[in-house]
Order: sequence, then C-alpha cells, then structure tokens
Amino acid sequence: MCGLCGLLGEDLHWSDPLGDTLPRRRERLRRIAAINQVLAPFRLKVSDVQGSAYLVQGATGRQELASGLEQLWQQAEAILGRPLDPLDPRILDHLEALP
Amino acid sequence: MSLPINVITGFLGSGKTTLLKRLLADEELGDTALLINEFGEVGIDNLLVEEIAPGTVLLPSGCVCCSIRGDLRQALLGLHGKRSRGEIPAFRRVLLETTGLADPAPILATLQRDVQLRGRFHLGLLVTVVDAQHAALQERLHPEWLAQVTAADRLLVSKTDLAAVDEIARLKQQLQGLNPAASLALCGEVSSGDALLLGDGLKGADPDAEVARWQLFGPLPAARHGRAEVCCLEFDDALDWMAFGVWLSMLLRCHGERILRVKGILDVIESPQPIVIHGVQHCLHAPVHLNAWPGGRRCSRLVFIVRDMDTRTLRRSFDAFLSRLGSAA
Repeated sequence: MCGLCGLLGEDLHWSDPLGDTLPRRRERLRRIAAINQVLAPFRLKVSDVQGSAYLVQGATGRQELASGLEQLWQQAEAILGRPLDPLDPRILDHLEALP
Repeated sequence: MSLPINVITGFLGSGKTTLLKRLLADEELGDTALLINEFGEVGIDNLLVEEIAPGTVLLPSGCVCCSIRGDLRQALLGLHGKRSRGEIPAFRRVLLETTGLADPAPILATLQRDVQLRGRFHLGLLVTVVDAQHAALQERLHPEWLAQVTAADRLLVSKTDLAAVDEIARLKQQLQGLNPAASLALCGEVSSGDALLLGDGLKGADPDAEVARWQLFGPLPAARHGRAEVCCLEFDDALDWMAFGVWLSMLLRCHGERILRVKGILDVIESPQPIVIHGVQHCLHAPVHLNAWPGGRRCSRLVFIVRDMDTRTLRRSFDAFLSRLGSAA
C-alpha cells in the first residue's frame, strides 16, 4: 500500500511508476487522463474507482470495472466490440490534432 | 531470492540434447538444476546417478536433473519445495530444455503471471540452438523457427560439421541480421561453465555489460529478412514513462504476435539513469535501471523485430503518443 495516498496495490505491471518521487495517486490520474485522450475517438471514458480500479464507460451506457492496465484494454475492447489498435489512424489523427 | 531460469530452445533435432549431454558430463553444472522432458533422451544412464525423488536424480557433479512430465509450473514448484526442505542441493539456477516446437513467449508469461512462481523464479537467458544443416528448410516451413531465433539472447549454431563453410557463414550473417542484439557462437565452442550460457542476463550483477552486448547504438543490418523486419525508433527528448507505458501496453496487447522482440534503452523524465526494457511478443520484463549510458550517448532508442507490420505507422504512432500524451495530461 502507498503510505502517502492510502492506495491498495493493484497487480504488478511493468508500466507502474518508476520512482517514488511523485504520489502514486497523482501518477494514476495522469495516466487516466492520457488514456481518455486515446479513447476519445471511440466515445469511451475511463475514471478512477478508489485508486484501485478503473471504470470504463461506453457511449451506450455500458460500463465495466477493470483492475490494472491489461484488463482496462480488455474491457474497453469488450465494450467497443473490436480490438483497440494504437496504429489506428483515427487515434493518431486525434492525437496529432491536440495542441 | 529469485532464481534465474535459463531456457534452451531450438527446433526438433537441432542439437539441444547433444549440447546438454556434453554439458552434463562436466563439473561446472554442480549448482544447477536441469529440467528436461525425458531422461531417456539425455542418456544419463551411463553416469553414476542417484534417484533422490520420483523423477529427480542427482548427478555426480551435484547437478539435479528433473523430468518435467507435463506441467512446467508443477515441476518448478516441486523443485523449489525440495530445495527449501533441503532434500536436494541448493541449486543457484535452473536450465530448462523446451520441446522442439515450443514458442518461448508462453514460458515468460507463465513466470510473470503465476503468483506462486513470481518471486521464486525469473527468466534469465534464452538460448536458441540453430541447426546449420536444416536452417533454410525450417525457416521456410515453420513460423516457430523465426520466433525462437528472434527471441534469443544467445544463438548457438549446431551441426556445423555437416554443413559447408560458406553455408555456415551465410547462416551466421542471416542470424545476426534477424537478431542483431543476440550473441552468436558455434555449439562446439561453448563449455558448460560458459558465462554466456549460464549468466543471468539483465538481472545479473552487471546489467550494463549485458546491454553493451545488445549493441543498441550500433549500425543496423539490412532491415528486412523475409517476413521479419528490424525497426528502430528514436526519441531525442526525455520520455514521459507514463505515456510510454500507455503506448507500449496497448501495442503489445493488439500486435503482440507480430512483435517478435523488443529491446530498448530509454531516457525518461523521472529517472536520471537509463531505463532498459525488453520483451518477447505480448510479454515485457520488468524495467531495469542501468548505472551509465552505453557509449555516453543519452537518447531513447528502441529496436523492434516485427513480422507483417507497417513500420512507418509504428513510427508515427510512437511519435504521436509520446509527444502528445505526456504534455496533454
């Protein structure tokens, strides 16, 4: 558990924050903001649940809980009904149009 | 303490067993546990062996030899249990021989995802034995051949006595082109105490030396070999680790089967030291901190070996995620 934020640990993942300089909760919210940018073209939205899970919501109101980054992608794909591809031109066009 | 598992893989009949037979007869493997599929294949009957548990024998050198009999997870946990109870000598590493058609990525996945194995074992080096006589045919007929060659940390060419000299030279050149980061040697040249075979790779005492061996900043060989392509991505500014994690986790999930190997050194905002990552297909090892930049050059460089993938879009995606996400968040 992170003593500073009171976060219970998720399963270990290679993409976890490298150092302990930033509070884990702040890093987590930064990551969620970035993921929301990637998912915006598909009208999917991710939010934090108590610092220990993610809530993925689709445009139709369907929502799923996910623990960890791997499961987040899996649930987002389940709601979307097809794979999420970082090489998809829709994602790349959207990101490149950001200021 | 987590113990390294060094995996010896290679095609059916490529010479894995012959190599193991030779290594087993030596004293240098005394602190090693060897996991093999069948005792019969290695022919240890002629050695003075002592059976210490069903399916587990102790060789005169002190090496513990154990047959897998189906489930790798059970075999590893059983071995670790016997070691903890003092029933077998406290080995310091495991050598695992895979079956000929095995794809190496699932072994890494098993070690990372299993709660009981994680913390007890980690993947050390992946050694691939390549049959010099049949390499061309195997490459053409079996996609596993490419997966095994590109995943390797060490490449050993076997049966060099059965192939012509120019054929061996051509094969060595092809292997270096496919997997520039792996060290290449002839099977006959390695001895059982060879650090190149028994070392612990990035998790060892000297990760800097291991990364220097990868030659990440060296010139890349011709980019395309059949269906496989080597693609190098560079980023001059320091990276946002969070944005990198979002990009690579998404990429590996969607295209893991086409990404045969990824290795890289990263300059990240969060760390003054270089961060090294490497992975095989869907699985990535935990990142490692290095002490210094190899060659003194500070920049991020990733080398992908991909198959059937548009590398121009890969480059565009990398730039878009890294340059927009870090600052946007």
